[in-house]
Amino acid sequence: MEIKVLFFGVLAEVTGSSHKHYRNIESFRDLRLRIEDDFPEIVHYYYRIAVNNDLINDDPVLKEGDEIALLPPFAGG
Amino acid sequence: MTEDILINGPITQAVISSRLAMLGSRKNSGGHSVFIGQVREDIQDGRKVKAIEYSAYRTMVIKETENIISMIQSEFNDVKSVDILHSVGIVMAGEISMFVLISASHRHQAIEACSKTVELLKEKLPIWKKEIFEDNTHEWEQNPLA
Repeated sequence: MEIKVLFFGVLAEVTGSSHKHYRNIESFRDLRLRIEDDFPEIVHYYYRIAVNNDLINDDPVLKEGDEIALLPPFAGG
Repeated sequence: MTEDILINGPITQAVISSRLAMLGSRKNSGGHSVFIGQVREDIQDGRKVKAIEYSAYRTMVIKETENIISMIQSEFNDVKSVDILHSVGIVMAGEISMFVLISASHRHQAIEACSKTVELLKEKLPIWKKEIFEDNTHEWEQNPLA
C-alpha cells in the first residue's frame, strides 16, 4: 500500500523534507524501517505518531492512503 | 467545524481590535478574559532571540482546537464563547503570536477558562517553534508538558 509520511518541526529539518510518499508498505514496522533507512539521524530524536490526525500509542494497522505524521514535542504559544 | 485559527505572521493590533469590537454584541456576557502571547527577546548562551518561526500541522490543529473548545465548554458551563488565534511563520520579538479571548456570564469562569485554554493549547496543539537568534543561528524549542 501507499502511505504519505509528514515530517514536522526539527524532523523536517533533519529529513530536509516536509513529506514523502512510501509505496509497497506492508506494515507500520515496515514503514518505520524504511523511514529510518532513508533518514538514519531520525533515531536520535523523540517524536510521537499521528495517523490521519489522531495521536496513537501503539503501532497502528495501516491502510491504503493513510497519512502518518511524525510529531516532535509541541511548542505552541 | 472550527474555523482555522492559524494566521500567517504576527497577530496585528488591527486583528485584535476587530475581535474586541465584537464584544458589544455578546450581551449575555458579563466578563471577557484575554490572553496575549508575545515573542520574548530571550537570551541564551549570550545569543539574543530576534524572532520565532512557527510551523504547524494545520488539519490536526483544527481538530485539536475543536476538542479543546469542547473540553472548556463542558468544564465551564458559564462560558459563552472561545476565540483562539495562533501565528505560523515568522514573528519578531515583541510581536504577538497567540490570542485567546473567553466570554462568560461572570468574571471567575472567564478568567479560569482563559487560563485553562492557554495551558491546553500549549500542551495539545501540534505547533513547533524555531527560535532564531541575532547571529542567525537557531534552536528548536519545546513546551514542558508537550
